[in-house]
Amino acid sequence: MRVKYDGHRGRALLAAVAAMLAALGVTVLVIASRAQRQAPQPPPSAAGTYAAGSLHAGTPSSSGPPSTSGGQPSAARPSGPVLAKSMPTHLSIPAIGVDSDLVQLGLNPDHSVQVPSLGAESKAGWYRYSPTPGQVGPSILLGHIDSARYGPGVFFKLGALRKGDTVSVRRADSTVAVFRVDAVAEYPKDHFPTLTVYGNTDHAALRLITCGGKFNLSSHNYEDNIVAFASLVSAHAA
Amino acid sequence: MNKKAVLLLAPPLALGAAVLLAMPGQAGAATASSYQATLKALNHSTGSGNVSLQLNGNKATIVENVTGIAATFGGKPYPHVQHIHIGGAGMCPTASADKNGDGVVSTTEGGPAYGPIGATLSTSGDSSPKAATVLTVAPSGASFSYSRTITLDSKTMASLTSGKAVVVVHGLDPATLSKKAQGEKSELVPSLPLAATSPVLCGTLVASQMSQVPGGAAATGGGSTSGIEDEALLLAGGGLLLAAGGALVARRRVSRQS
Repeated sequence: MRVKYDGHRGRALLAAVAAMLAALGVTVLVIASRAQRQAPQPPPSAAGTYAAGSLHAGTPSSSGPPSTSGGQPSAARPSGPVLAKSMPTHLSIPAIGVDSDLVQLGLNPDHSVQVPSLGAESKAGWYRYSPTPGQVGPSILLGHIDSARYGPGVFFKLGALRKGDTVSVRRADSTVAVFRVDAVAEYPKDHFPTLTVYGNTDHAALRLITCGGKFNLSSHNYEDNIVAFASLVSAHAA
Repeated sequence: MNKKAVLLLAPPLALGAAVLLAMPGQAGAATASSYQATLKALNHSTGSGNVSLQLNGNKATIVENVTGIAATFGGKPYPHVQHIHIGGAGMCPTASADKNGDGVVSTTEGGPAYGPIGATLSTSGDSSPKAATVLTVAPSGASFSYSRTITLDSKTMASLTSGKAVVVVHGLDPATLSKKAQGEKSELVPSLPLAATSPVLCGTLVASQMSQVPGGAAATGGGSTSGIEDEALLLAGGGLLLAAGGALVARRRVSRQS
């Protein structure tokens, strides 16, 4: 049976098709644009204001840059609470929805810090050659901001941390070390301030590290690191 | 080998390397393998810097960043001889070390604080005390990054592991000196002015609270949330809208008459 596509019936049919296609197209575009995810970035004023060797009272309520006491003997009396050495097992950061077991990380052959393996389950890790969280010194925790395959990682929202936020680390000795965020900063990887992040401190300190800034398409790497600095304020039984 | 394959292999490789690297660090709490120094300004300079030193046996890998010191000397980049001093009090001198009252703590006047030279942080060649005043192998300019692995002798090792090793960078801006000091010759190299060999930055090398300091930044991202995501979906949406437009055009072409 031959269908007539001309005349009023044809025009009505095409109008209906156009309307359907347009509705479908708009729906798809809305879905796609709402699926865009942008990792939060730390406030721009925070970047570049942290210099190695800047003074820090070591108390949780003090503002400003982390301290490095590289010029003093490391036997100097630490300020603030200090815990005994104990392997960290779990990390919790309620402000940004982080609740992750901790893996242990070492060094890559090229002397860069190892990062957690990339998988659908993105866990955070503790750098095993740094002090355990709660001991005096810079304890280093790392986590992916995202992975090429699986989308946002465990530290996707690290850049949204602000001074005063709480970071809790459960340890193998059944204590929980409670830290308070002092500052969050972003540093270019090719000008990474090694001593500001990894240098000695006069208190029990934590540094949470992930990537940030622009993603370099040719090197497949982010250009910056986001670092959250925190100090131990208390501890309690797990 | 593509990046993804390298990333997949990295954890097991790193685990193997980490086990190997763990051994020197764990060999007794007494001997640290990682040291650092914060370089502070001396003699009214406004510079600063930091040093990381990773020890492997008697080989020291030194990474140093310096900024804000004298830029030129006789129209050319200012050579800043630098050394690891040992066997002194393991400290940096204060202004009270200026014995002859010319407003400058000379290298010799600082001796009781940091001791004699144990190693020269030269850019190439000899790194022994004999190369101490060779300007051609000194890093130069107002700011520089220095990275080198040198062999330390037993005396330098002993000072380092007992907290008595001090990094000293030399070379002051003559304009910051008193009139008297500007006219003086170096007590070490009389053909050079006092400014050239006097200390400008100083810091004691202390054991790191980390047993191994990483080389720098961390590769914690794969980029899937950067830029525009779901491009295929966006293109599909756009395509559908175009198709809708095409249907409308076709509709206009169909005449009202059958």
